[in-house]
Amino acid sequence: MFKRVAILALALSALGAIPAFGEGKEKVVLLLNWYTYSEHAPFYLGKERGYFEQEGIDLDIQEGRGSGLTVQAVAAGTATFGYADVPTMIKAASKGAPVMAVGVALQTSPMSVMGFADKNVRKPEDIKGKIVAVTPGDSMSQIWPLFLKKTNLQEADFKQVAGDAQTKLNAVINGQADLLLGYVMDQAIKLQDATHKPVYPIRFADYGVNLVSSGIIVQKDLLKSNPDLVKRFMRAATRSLEEAAKNPDAAIDAMLKAQPKSGVKDTALVGLKNTIALYHGPDNPNDRPFRVGAKNMAETMQLLVEYGGLDKSSAGKAEDYYTNAYLP
Amino acid sequence: MNPSWWSRVVFSAWVRPILLIGLLLVLWELAILVFRIPPYLVPTPIAVVRQLVEEWPKLLRESMFTTYATLGGFGLAIAFGIPMALLIAYSRTVESFVYPLLVFSQSVPKVAIAPLFVVWFGFGIIPKIIAAFLLAFFPIVVATVVGFKSVERDMLDLARSMKATRMQVFRRISLPQALPSIFGGLKVSVTLAVVGAVVGEFVGSNSGIGYVLQIANGNFDLPLMFAALTVLSFIGVLLFAGVDLVERMMIPWHVSQRSEFHATA
Repeated sequence: MFKRVAILALALSALGAIPAFGEGKEKVVLLLNWYTYSEHAPFYLGKERGYFEQEGIDLDIQEGRGSGLTVQAVAAGTATFGYADVPTMIKAASKGAPVMAVGVALQTSPMSVMGFADKNVRKPEDIKGKIVAVTPGDSMSQIWPLFLKKTNLQEADFKQVAGDAQTKLNAVINGQADLLLGYVMDQAIKLQDATHKPVYPIRFADYGVNLVSSGIIVQKDLLKSNPDLVKRFMRAATRSLEEAAKNPDAAIDAMLKAQPKSGVKDTALVGLKNTIALYHGPDNPNDRPFRVGAKNMAETMQLLVEYGGLDKSSAGKAEDYYTNAYLP
Repeated sequence: MNPSWWSRVVFSAWVRPILLIGLLLVLWELAILVFRIPPYLVPTPIAVVRQLVEEWPKLLRESMFTTYATLGGFGLAIAFGIPMALLIAYSRTVESFVYPLLVFSQSVPKVAIAPLFVVWFGFGIIPKIIAAFLLAFFPIVVATVVGFKSVERDMLDLARSMKATRMQVFRRISLPQALPSIFGGLKVSVTLAVVGAVVGEFVGSNSGIGYVLQIANGNFDLPLMFAALTVLSFIGVLLFAGVDLVERMMIPWHVSQRSEFHATA
């Protein structure tokens, strides 16, 4: 009975694969980590410019609902490629999800604690006595204690409130909280778009807390079954990031054309520029995009074991979770 | 060996659902083994039970917060729902104005507006109570309206012909006849109130089962997530049983209760 099901499944998957190869263009889904915002603009630029098409890839960019779900979808084969937080992927992989990062886009952490500039929170000491909004369980809330340790702050120095992603923004906009934990190119822009008030982020990375962030992830099986597709995809993706870095204006235009509701031109452009500033890690300033340094990854792993809820016994080595072998 | 003793235990009302749960757990474990479902997609029942035991003190503590919010919302829903239903049932004017609006408001997804409750009412227990209230309110109103509207006309006419006062009619005829329907609504509503409380906790909270779910989700801790869901279901079952108990005390004469006694006797 199960044999028959297996054979049927095999036959069906073969049927699915043949026309794709036959036309010379593979339909590929890239599942993003979140609803589209400036960080994703390079992929829309690459699609518009035909970089993926030239590699024989018919790219379908899908919006996500959080890195965790994106990782699970890629692990289950629902999406071919995922754009997700690499530390989140590492945690899922250590629990058995058969996924791997084939390129790390953001190699300096975008994590920051931010508030409106008129609150005058410019350095960690200024956080004392303020109210900070966090999302329990998310990656930033887990690294937050390390930031506090590095900056000699105590939990008792400030008040903390917890809520989901939207509540965090609402709390700061409405003054229920002074600060929130967010990404420099995401929440900082959303706060500005909503209020037209300048936002000042204190980056974790500037205080010695750095770990890699978003990257491209795939199912491990794909590396064996279709390594060529991964190489072609990463070639096109690398070109996309390089072109966006040179021409951020065009990238935002492409994104807004495909997803008109994903932002406002001026602030999205600032967001993308802030994103581009994170394309390189401290140990590889001159590499092409997506190529991550070994030291950077090792440090990320160490932070995850110490603070990020990654189980040391099942963690393994950084090399188990990423590879640069499919990059141009 | 007494077969009737044996079958009475196995088929008693309390044991039956437990048997079914046991069977489902075995099927769940088997399905994971047979289809090789990886643990990052669905945890095994054993892993869930282990988490349930290990994290029990924490889960119990957090479930208290959720229970308070649930009961608060449920209480509010009764306090507002039943009087409103009475107005709707007894006044065509009120019905024509209010009822359509009520149905309209019920169709608004609470999850979508829950973040606003935090904006309006802060991070305390109030937004959770309101979320629970909004989910629990509607079934109570609908069931109560149905209950009062389906009181037998002949009975009312008879009472009036015997010069019963309006209060007497209400207490002796309308209310007793409406109660079974009202309790039906209360039972649906109390389980929804649990959901509402968790929705409230999801959007903004430092405590409660919704908070545990959020953390478990962030760490891919599926066993903890399922353990928290189990605790949540228990809260629902206990509250449901509570309403059921009150119902038995208030309307022991009703068909639904009588047939129950008959079956187990």
